[in-house]
Amino acid sequence: MRNSILIFIFSLFFSIPLFSQPNCEAYRYQGDTLKYLACMQAKKREGHYQFSREYQEAFDEAIGIDSTFDYAYREKSVAYLKSGDFITWKNLIDKAVALNPEAHLGARGWCRYQFFRDYKGAIEDIENFEKLVNYDVGYSVNGVYHLSIAKAICYKALGQKERAISIIEEKLKEKDYFAGIYDYLHLGVLYLELGRYEKAISAFVKQSQGNEIAENQYYLGMVYKKLGNKEKYVECLQRSQDLYVGRRNMYDPYTHPYDKVYLEDIQDELEKANKDT
Amino acid sequence: MNKIIFPFIVIFLFGCQKSKDESSQQKSKYLRWVGDSKFDPEVDDPDFKACNGEKVAQYFNFSMGLQYEGEKRALEKVFREKYNPLSREGESGLIRIRFVVNCKGKTGRFRLLQMDNDFQEKSFNPLITDQLLQITKGLTGWKRLPDTDNARDYYQYLIFKMEKGEIKEILP
Repeated sequence: MRNSILIFIFSLFFSIPLFSQPNCEAYRYQGDTLKYLACMQAKKREGHYQFSREYQEAFDEAIGIDSTFDYAYREKSVAYLKSGDFITWKNLIDKAVALNPEAHLGARGWCRYQFFRDYKGAIEDIENFEKLVNYDVGYSVNGVYHLSIAKAICYKALGQKERAISIIEEKLKEKDYFAGIYDYLHLGVLYLELGRYEKAISAFVKQSQGNEIAENQYYLGMVYKKLGNKEKYVECLQRSQDLYVGRRNMYDPYTHPYDKVYLEDIQDELEKANKDT
Repeated sequence: MNKIIFPFIVIFLFGCQKSKDESSQQKSKYLRWVGDSKFDPEVDDPDFKACNGEKVAQYFNFSMGLQYEGEKRALEKVFREKYNPLSREGESGLIRIRFVVNCKGKTGRFRLLQMDNDFQEKSFNPLITDQLLQITKGLTGWKRLPDTDNARDYYQYLIFKMEKGEIKEILP
């Protein structure tokens, strides 16, 4: 029974649109009657799951009223994105971006990375978005990353680690920026991979202070391994294992986060550490 | 008297609902849910049965991410060991294999979707797609979700990021 309730709650949570419904009255105020009518028509989808026929049809009808109603294309695209149908998703989100790049470029960039690991495409969209607006480009659709950090991860994936470090460092220096839940972890891993161990330790300590997770202790352990500090290496791995078993690890309901480690990685490393004893 | 009439009322109401659904489907260009894979006798295993009819959830509805015995590493290991790369220019892009995991953890109704790096539909060499399909069909570690007596059927997919015939990443 408890599980049924949980599934129901999660189903509701994941049926919430990724992007909030525009205020229809704003269109009327602006004198755009057609978009106002399309927007009101789109409200018919309320109460329907985004994978449902009714949801798709409500937006089709809205598009029938005003084919430039960008929000409808984006909302239609979500179910295709989540089902891995990259072709239909791209076709729909491209229409939304073409009609209103300011509203959708950042989201398309993020989704290209999150769902399809299209690093080049994600960078292109995020950078075009940055050029387009004179305000902070904001966060990923799921709220986990600032888009600058997401862009840095994409640069890293393409082998440009120095560039990735520079982007993250710059972002973290900004006075009004609150570090994201994985920002220091990604920075620490970059330092570790480039052999800057003291800086890596400092980043992982900051990650621990903000959001302690198994990955953080795992990579911290790898730094101590490189530095030949066996005691701390093993200690970190054991802590990492405990955190993982306690479900304190990187998480994304749709896919695996970048720099994620799995229990097997931690246990393999612990085994190596114990063999060397 | 009421005891006799009540079942007929229930049957009548459900009957109306069913025919309403069927009628909506006939009029609509959409299936009941986006991405639904109906049984296709030409390609699908007739012995594979979904436990709850057409009420198939999506893997992320359970908020647990990909659920495979041994996690993602176990799955990657299978492909690393069994997939023979066909190193050829042009064999790059994404290949998605989507399927149903039933309430017993068995899989069926496999569907293939392929694109190039510009999100345009393409066909990879069958020596690549046939291998990926066969390996995916042979995976036995899919978990029942939720892991209770009320396990559901759910859609799962694997996306293979291919570069010149090699698997670079597996998603989700």
